[in-house]
Amino acid sequence: MSPTHLALITLLVPLASAAIIALFLRRSGTLAQIISVTACAAYAAAALMLAFGGSRQLLKTTLPGYRDEAVNASFDWLSIGDFTLSLGIKFDDLAALMLVIVAIVGLCVHIFSIGYMRDDKARARYFGGLSIFMFSMTGIVLADNLFMMFIFWELVGFSSWLLINHYREKQFAADASKKAFIVNRVGDFGFLLGIIACYYVFGTTNLTEMSAKIAGGAAVATCIPLALFCGAVGKSAQFPLHVWLPDAMEGPTPVSALIHAATMVAAGIYMLCRIEPIFAAVPAALNVVMWAGVITALYAALCAITQSDIKKVLAYSTLSQLGYMVAAFGLGNIVKDVGMQPSGNGEMAPLFLIFGTGAAAAMFHLTTHAFFKALLFLGSGSVIAGCHHEQNIFKMGGLRRKMPITFITFTIGVLAIIGMPFLSGFFSKDSILYLAMHNNMAAFSILTLTAVLTAFYMVRMWKITFLGQSRSEEASHAKESSISMTTPLIVLALLAVGFVYVPVFYKAFLGVFDNVPLAQGTAHTIILITSIAVMLIGAGAALAFYKSAATDTLRDRIPGVFTILTHLKETPDRVYNYYVTKLQQRFALLLNFLDQFLIGGLIVRGLAGLTGFFGLGARALHVGSIHAYVYWFFIGVVLIWAFATGFLS
Amino acid sequence: MNPFPIDLLLLSIATPLAAALIIAFGPSRKIAMILAYIGFSVPALVAIYLVGKFAGMPLHHGYAYFTSYDLGLAAWGIKLTLGLNGISLGLFALAGIVGFAAGFYAIQSGAERLRQYLLLLLVMQGGLMGVFASVDIFFFYFFHEFALIATFIMVGVWGGRDRNYAAMMMTIYLTLGAMLSLAGLIAIYWTSGAANFDLIALRDAIASQPLSEVVQKNIFGILMFGFGILVSLFPLHSWAPLGYGAAPSSAAMLHAGVLKKFGLYGLVQIALPLIPSGAAHWSHILAILALCNVVIIGFVTIAQTDLKQMIGYSSVMHMGYAFLGVAAMSALGAGGVVLMMIAHGLSVALLFLLSTSIHHRTQTFDMASMGGLAKQAPLLSALFVAAIFASIGLPGFANFWGELTIFVALWGFSKWMTIAAVAGIIISAIYGLRAAARIFFGPPTETFAKIAAENPVTDLRWSERVPAFVLLAALVLVGVWPKIVTTPLNAQLTGLSGMGDSPMSMAADAQNTGGSPVPPNPSRSAPAK
Repeated sequence: MSPTHLALITLLVPLASAAIIALFLRRSGTLAQIISVTACAAYAAAALMLAFGGSRQLLKTTLPGYRDEAVNASFDWLSIGDFTLSLGIKFDDLAALMLVIVAIVGLCVHIFSIGYMRDDKARARYFGGLSIFMFSMTGIVLADNLFMMFIFWELVGFSSWLLINHYREKQFAADASKKAFIVNRVGDFGFLLGIIACYYVFGTTNLTEMSAKIAGGAAVATCIPLALFCGAVGKSAQFPLHVWLPDAMEGPTPVSALIHAATMVAAGIYMLCRIEPIFAAVPAALNVVMWAGVITALYAALCAITQSDIKKVLAYSTLSQLGYMVAAFGLGNIVKDVGMQPSGNGEMAPLFLIFGTGAAAAMFHLTTHAFFKALLFLGSGSVIAGCHHEQNIFKMGGLRRKMPITFITFTIGVLAIIGMPFLSGFFSKDSILYLAMHNNMAAFSILTLTAVLTAFYMVRMWKITFLGQSRSEEASHAKESSISMTTPLIVLALLAVGFVYVPVFYKAFLGVFDNVPLAQGTAHTIILITSIAVMLIGAGAALAFYKSAATDTLRDRIPGVFTILTHLKETPDRVYNYYVTKLQQRFALLLNFLDQFLIGGLIVRGLAGLTGFFGLGARALHVGSIHAYVYWFFIGVVLIWAFATGFLS
Repeated sequence: MNPFPIDLLLLSIATPLAAALIIAFGPSRKIAMILAYIGFSVPALVAIYLVGKFAGMPLHHGYAYFTSYDLGLAAWGIKLTLGLNGISLGLFALAGIVGFAAGFYAIQSGAERLRQYLLLLLVMQGGLMGVFASVDIFFFYFFHEFALIATFIMVGVWGGRDRNYAAMMMTIYLTLGAMLSLAGLIAIYWTSGAANFDLIALRDAIASQPLSEVVQKNIFGILMFGFGILVSLFPLHSWAPLGYGAAPSSAAMLHAGVLKKFGLYGLVQIALPLIPSGAAHWSHILAILALCNVVIIGFVTIAQTDLKQMIGYSSVMHMGYAFLGVAAMSALGAGGVVLMMIAHGLSVALLFLLSTSIHHRTQTFDMASMGGLAKQAPLLSALFVAAIFASIGLPGFANFWGELTIFVALWGFSKWMTIAAVAGIIISAIYGLRAAARIFFGPPTETFAKIAAENPVTDLRWSERVPAFVLLAALVLVGVWPKIVTTPLNAQLTGLSGMGDSPMSMAADAQNTGGSPVPPNPSRSAPAK
């Protein structure tokens, strides 16, 4: 099978699965499950063959007109006038890496869902939703131009809506899915404008051709990368559009793992890396991106401290880590002056070389995060299933003995996210911290503080959930989950142990990982010490401070801080609620009133009055006689003609 | 070429009219229903067949399936001239498909005085097929009136709440709009000096001797307001939500879905190619009014609590996009208008159909007293959600292509207007998803729980499923494979169909001379700002 065929299989198999389920299997959950899981297995096989099959040349440079992908497929999908929209595949190392992440996490989540959703009445809808998501996400990964990316970007938004809304009899789920889609649309508003602007500036939105044009000196206005960044702010839930992600936890837990932790929310970062040249051309825009990421990272970490719902802690932690990735991207490249070289006119000019890119650091963290966060979410799903859908950590406790596999794998996930040496999070976080230290000390200090907080809130949750004694009926009767749920946990736990796969990935996706900033010499020592110290301080403080008890120690001991943090978390939601209910709704009602009474009423009656003024039978109008319409017609013609000619003169 | 011994275009117009004529003689209810099935099926089948056969058809001045009949009016320059070009092809198919869905639904609706209702609906259907098949602008107008008068009667007799007031408002507004349009069309004919009303003759006459600037400006102004009223251009839209709120569902489906497109079709097919300078002159005013449709009416839609009013207003809002496509003055913009018309026609018809289905189950259109309907009627909820996502422009449905192409075209006309127009995707998501959530999700409201306890709610019946599936299938087909519309459309718009000057190249020339900003060709333009 040629690489192009494999790429098309990854795209079309999930689509076929979704279509079959939607059309024929709405009432047969088991059959739908079999089809969806089989489709995902086939998908994963094709994706891994494609990504590790050497079907692309490992060249980093993008020369004008050079296409660095062996997979080459592009179809004109619509053309009108001089506008052509094509659907095509750009399969380079970046896309291959993302595809592998989606495939592995996707398969784990599908298998986990077999157990987790066993008793669900709407399994067919659920598995159909997963398939349509896999299709849409793959479209984003493979897209070779921005219009195509936007198409699939919207489709993942739809699948996210569908899956958050899974428990649709619940008001919370209905509200959360609506909020997620609308907030994403706000981001897409900017994204779409950015894409259209790109089309007019570059004459194309093809990723390769745009890079070539920028390399060839095409100017980029600051507003273009910023508009495109709006898309990432929405999809990757950056402050201030982060509000939808914690609410999205209303969806089934495997969905949170796949969509709202590992893949879809990371699509924003992937998209940024896809169009990195546009950002590289505008340093001011990169700066905005960096601060958006830094603020989100810190803000979300602060919010996570007071959460009592196990999924909400993980949701805020996801936000914080996404902030890390966005910040890494915004920090830009490490450029060093490595001496002099002869320039064109014979004089010596300084030679700058790139020692690592922000995009690579972001993608590295995206990769490690995808695995350990999927692990954590699926672990929490296992806990929730074990505790009969109890999500409050203060009602858990003592689960380490009752759910040993979940406990061990979850612990590995926690250690990975807090940056324990030799686990995956350690490497990727260090590379971001090094990049920050090199490029921006302010960002470095905030990100370091965030790392302390991360260790703090993760260990807090871990301790309260798993240690101590069982504090509720549900928790004391908890049992280890079935094999379909524990197997994905074990697989993902292996992937959270960094050195298991990093060398393999490094070789396979050299185009990405070769650019990861790596500290050397003194810088290396500083970063190593900082990151270990950070982890020990955060984790140690949480272990010492929190008791595995039925109440939040922070609320009991330092209520002031707890209140402040709670307010911090709630303020954006309050602001949005105020806007929606007080401003937007009232504005809409006001316009509605004006429309009904001013336009519908006054103008019509005013015209009727005018007719009466001319003595042309206003009374006839009100009784609806047919003659009146004729008068109306003449009046109208005269009025509009007068307006037109008067206007023209 | 044509394996059938008859002219299929004429057949598609005559069958519903003939069926209506026979029903007028008062056959039994059962025979009337059979006749109605025939009357609605034949145009749909003909339309699908003709779309399939269009590629490679010999073209007569851009028109395939060209025929001309002398009905004795030739002395006045009027002949029944039929044909389809790239612009009218898709709309002709739209009329066939929506007509089938609306007709099928009406036949099964069990309405009072069903025979009379079907008779009027068949008249409307015949008129609709005629509008888009006519090459002669007299008949183009004539068929429209045919369909329009049937609409008025249906609203007045079979309408819901406030039907008399709604019918009167609709009649006043739409008659005024239609008469202004007629004045504009006659003015074109008069000033062009063409020998007859046939669009080809008009085009030839104007090509040899273009109309003067002043004449063009005056005529376009009249047409813009005349057609504008018919398509609910802001602030002349008040009839639409009111009328659709009261209209019986099949009439609302056919009017909002198809007949309303008459005005936009006239602008794209007649006004833009024939009086491009006039269009260029008015384009800014048109664009600003259209933006009011999108933004102001968008917010008004958010405020609606009545489902049918909400759909009516959302339809007004989406017509704003279509007008923006006209105002963009480019082939892409005009193509976007046609895509938008087809997509909106299908989706709004589906929404009206399903809203009636919802009403059957909830006994109300008030969205505040529904909730949780998805539990009892999952298929209804799935279809309604699909229709909502289609109408808010989710990729995979036809509407996405309409919106996207119009946005891209509009950027070449005005950047800030594009920003305002794209904001519409947020507004429509708000009202669309809010409606879906209120009706179908969450726990049922007390009111609805009481109603549901009294009349057990069932999912869609087959008589509701068939038309809904037909409409949804068409939306997805164009959404997934837009070329089915755009290939013939693009050939027509860019003048590859052997019809001399392409309308849009003329429009662009007119803009260059008319002093309005030139839409930049993306491949050549300088960096923005």
